[in-house]
Amino acid sequence: MTTTYRRHPDLRLAALEGEGVVLHLGSRKYFTVSETGVTLLELLEQPRTLEALVSGLVERYEVDPARAERSVRDFLDRCRAAGLLQEAGS
Amino acid sequence: MTPSAIRLSCDDPAVATTVRRWLDALALQPPAPVTIDIAVGAPAEDPPDPPTFAQPHLSLWTDARGARLSWDGAPAQALLPGVDPVARVTLSPGAVDRLDDCCRIFLLGVVILLVRRVGWHHVHAATAVDPKGRGWLFAGNALAGKSTTAAWCATRGWAVGTDDTAFLTSEGGGVHVVAARGPLALRDGGNALLSRADGTPLPSRGKTGYRPEDLGGRWASRVRPEIIAFSSVGAGGAPTALGAVGARETLAALVRWSAWVLFEPALADEHLALLARLAAQARSLRLTLGPDLFAPGDRLMELVP
Repeated sequence: MTTTYRRHPDLRLAALEGEGVVLHLGSRKYFTVSETGVTLLELLEQPRTLEALVSGLVERYEVDPARAERSVRDFLDRCRAAGLLQEAGS
Repeated sequence: MTPSAIRLSCDDPAVATTVRRWLDALALQPPAPVTIDIAVGAPAEDPPDPPTFAQPHLSLWTDARGARLSWDGAPAQALLPGVDPVARVTLSPGAVDRLDDCCRIFLLGVVILLVRRVGWHHVHAATAVDPKGRGWLFAGNALAGKSTTAAWCATRGWAVGTDDTAFLTSEGGGVHVVAARGPLALRDGGNALLSRADGTPLPSRGKTGYRPEDLGGRWASRVRPEIIAFSSVGAGGAPTALGAVGARETLAALVRWSAWVLFEPALADEHLALLARLAAQARSLRLTLGPDLFAPGDRLMELVP
């Protein structure tokens, strides 16, 4: 089974100089996000697999895939804990 | 005084006169009509659910049907259906007995909810224009020195808009900040720092009020911020200092001081876009206030030439 991830529809994102702030209008909380986080949240506007997210980072930042995967997994874990993600299996 | 464009209807002539006078004193001219419809009577019970948002004296409930605001000073409630620019307000006789406080606390909240329906979004900040014509926005905690700084600006000949209540709006390709006119309200400490004792007592607030003109400045109804100063009071007599603020910290701080962005999803996109444009438009600084600010001269102009 492949899991896809998508940002919660209640999220709103604002970016400045690559960095940003994300608002969760359901929980009424907000979080700062790094440049990488902004990139991932933009990708997560559509359902994405882990592999697609890793590819997105590799293409954007020319980092090695193993490092990109660690970054994505860490980011997804933190988003999951904050209720910022929707996940679906297919 | 230019009458406010905020429309008012009220079934009690005395209440109408007082509220009209208060609205006109705010000197707000929103870009489209908004209406406050006041009845004197018994407000409905507050919902049993926890409020969406609570701040001292005010509770807000929001859902897809609109917004509901209640005051804890005396029973008073406002209902704003959907995102229509209309507030149906019910004031209890107890609220009418405290109408000045009711205006300053509760009806100001109603105005904040109303004008965001026509594109003005509240920011808790002071505004000023320095002698070089640069707009400043001062944001910070309740005891971060915003009012004292705004009054200080006036003593140095700056134009000052507000020490507390302002509204972000998009105008001419930029973000402007409109001031709700009111006295710059100083605590005793602020009076002492500025060596003033000649303001208007504001006994219910334990403060003293000044107009910018009283202090040597002038009033600025609108400011286009070029500088955002997140201010705090330094410890131990350290001199006034500036520090850099990163992009994400700037955005987060603006969300914090413009927190209504979190409460009505139908209005959030426009509000958040304004905050992001403001952050991009202005230079953000961390301003730590020290006692040297009150020495002769213009310390802020020296620090930000």
